[in-house]
Amino acid sequence: MGKLWAVIKREYIERVRTKWFIIATVFGPLLFAALMIVPAWLTLKTKSAADISSTVIIDATSTGIGARVSEAMRGFGGGPERAPEVRVVPPSELTAAESLATAEVMRKDRSGYLVIDQQTTAGESARYAGRHASSLTAMEAVREAVRSTVLGYRLEAEGVSPDRSRELTTGRLAFRTERITDEGRGGSGAVSAFFGLGIAFLLYMSIILYGQNILRGVIEEKTTRVAEVVVSSVRPETLLAGKVLGVGAVGLTQQLVWVATVVTFLTYRVPIFKLFGIPAPPFQIPGVSPVDGLLLLLFFVLGFVFYAALFAAVGSMVNSDQEAQQAAQPVMLMLVAAAIFIQPVTFNPTGGLATVMSWLPFSSPIIMPLRLSIINVPTTELVGSLVVLLLSTLLVVWLAARIYRVGLLMYGKRPTLRELGHWIGHA
Amino acid sequence: MTEPAIQIRNVVKRFAAHTAVRDLSLVVPRGTVYGLLGPNGAGKTTTIRMILNVIAPDSGTITILGQDSTSDSILDRVGYLPEERGLYRKMKVRSILRFLAELKGMSRKKADPLIDEWLERLSLKTADKDWGAAKVDELSRGMQQKVQFIAALLHDPELVILDEPFSGLDPVNSQALKDTIVELRRRGKTVIFSTHLMDNAERMCDAVCIIANGDKVLDGTLTDVKAENAGRTIAVAIDGPPSSEISRIFADRSLVERVDDSNRFFEVELQPGADSQDLLRAIVGSGARVKRFELVQPSLHQIFLEKVGAKGVEPGMSGHG
Repeated sequence: MGKLWAVIKREYIERVRTKWFIIATVFGPLLFAALMIVPAWLTLKTKSAADISSTVIIDATSTGIGARVSEAMRGFGGGPERAPEVRVVPPSELTAAESLATAEVMRKDRSGYLVIDQQTTAGESARYAGRHASSLTAMEAVREAVRSTVLGYRLEAEGVSPDRSRELTTGRLAFRTERITDEGRGGSGAVSAFFGLGIAFLLYMSIILYGQNILRGVIEEKTTRVAEVVVSSVRPETLLAGKVLGVGAVGLTQQLVWVATVVTFLTYRVPIFKLFGIPAPPFQIPGVSPVDGLLLLLFFVLGFVFYAALFAAVGSMVNSDQEAQQAAQPVMLMLVAAAIFIQPVTFNPTGGLATVMSWLPFSSPIIMPLRLSIINVPTTELVGSLVVLLLSTLLVVWLAARIYRVGLLMYGKRPTLRELGHWIGHA
Repeated sequence: MTEPAIQIRNVVKRFAAHTAVRDLSLVVPRGTVYGLLGPNGAGKTTTIRMILNVIAPDSGTITILGQDSTSDSILDRVGYLPEERGLYRKMKVRSILRFLAELKGMSRKKADPLIDEWLERLSLKTADKDWGAAKVDELSRGMQQKVQFIAALLHDPELVILDEPFSGLDPVNSQALKDTIVELRRRGKTVIFSTHLMDNAERMCDAVCIIANGDKVLDGTLTDVKAENAGRTIAVAIDGPPSSEISRIFADRSLVERVDDSNRFFEVELQPGADSQDLLRAIVGSGARVKRFELVQPSLHQIFLEKVGAKGVEPGMSGHG
């Protein structure tokens, strides 16, 4: 045990001391903060850029509806308190008016034009052409203005008084979402999806970063030939275990620092956002129950050990970093396959794909924590997936240890699959 | 303390393409300097790695200091300097020595003063420079070898195994190594080293084992080995130019097996069973004036060439035997 501890300590201390680790640990949360602040700041900036008040409304209906749409578009998005210009034209001159407006938009005198005609008052269609055509927020604002105005106009046509119709059509509807689980109501759906995605990516990144770290560590021991001195004092299995645990502890340390910083940041986000002059977005820190926390940790640890052992085995088979890139491809492929499914599973966390990916040991460490934070996974499925992962991890560690033991002192050609089988059989 | 330092019984190790060690048995007595000799590719490194339980033999047993070589913590009492030397490049010298000492079961508290003692002894720590605080990367090749050497001896092992310790050493370090081996022997430690340099082995070893192609060729104390191979080599020097009569005598295959003719000096190896006095009489009878006629002990070098030369060095085999 003392020797295992010595190996763990060396792997941990030598890595935690590197500049790379310190930079990544400190700048990771800064990056996160930037990801929160910059979009909020950018939205603030682009709102004024998406000013739709310089749109020209071409009204070919002679019902005066153009003026009412213009009034509804006034002051959108914090822009100047001014209503768009309205040009009332007879239907026969519509084409000419559109050509004129197009030229104006091209000269940047106007940002775009909106055509209101018979079809609009019939509740069928309206047309916009201009620079904001691809801005979702601007188009949503224009659409909403036209829709509510036309609705009001049609209500009046049915005999509703103008005042009453305004009342009926201008209600702003805020849409809130809330998640209900077996334990009751908790958090918003969007928050838990965001949280789940964060966890999944964190696990994926850690496994890739630190798995490759182990790979490089094994290659270093091989190429510098220090491995021989070490295994003349400890069993190769002890060295492998110490390496995986030591490097795993480094990854865990980094994650704890990150999570702690992010939680602190979110807790104090109001004063922090104030510093940048941005109103803090409403955000609720998802409460993680101790059981969920433990499960997340368990999936991370098992998943990490699963991949770390594979990376170590690959490292012991090769003689250089270049060779390693190639030999590690099957392992990377499994990881990337798991990561590719993060998005579809987020959208449909109860579907067949999500269920299958949570049973397979190479993807369950990433997919299961993701689902856990979005939905309530049935206990049987949870326990089953953990058992499969645990057994697979034990098997992988056993195989990796045998490959590692032989490969560590083998130089020269990379083994074929057949030779690898021989190593496993005769280690 | 009666068990031998190492006892190897019928050990076999096969690799995919060839047999590296074939049914090897040998005993290394305690408190001796033991030479493991053989040409490149003979199986020396494989044997050493099996002793250290770095690789497992296919069959046979190895006992170290009376315990099975696979038993826990027995390797704590063994120091090892591998042929291919290397250290963690980014680590500080002192941390790496501390780490390797911990792997041998030493506490940090016990290791630290010893590390400083060794660094000073091998002049890696002087009044104006402490290399212990430097990274391995910053050290010269020679200094790195010293660090590796310290790592092998730091935990004061009872048994020290050195694989080709003299390769790549300059004369000064070579001398220091020799001194250290002799000192270890005086302190009752057992030292095993492999080499293909017979001069070093002859001067330092109490006992030797010669292996070639994975087979043991001979083993025993140096005295025994020499005695067994003695009595057949005669150094002959004559005054004046040698006559044709002399050439005829040396060509007599009933008397002489081989002759190393250096014109005025001859190293003659008698046929087994031939009497050296017959040869002397024949030379005197030819009228030559004999300046020197001496039964000499063959050098280890000669024994090696004779024993291994016959078996030959397997072509294309080198490096890790």
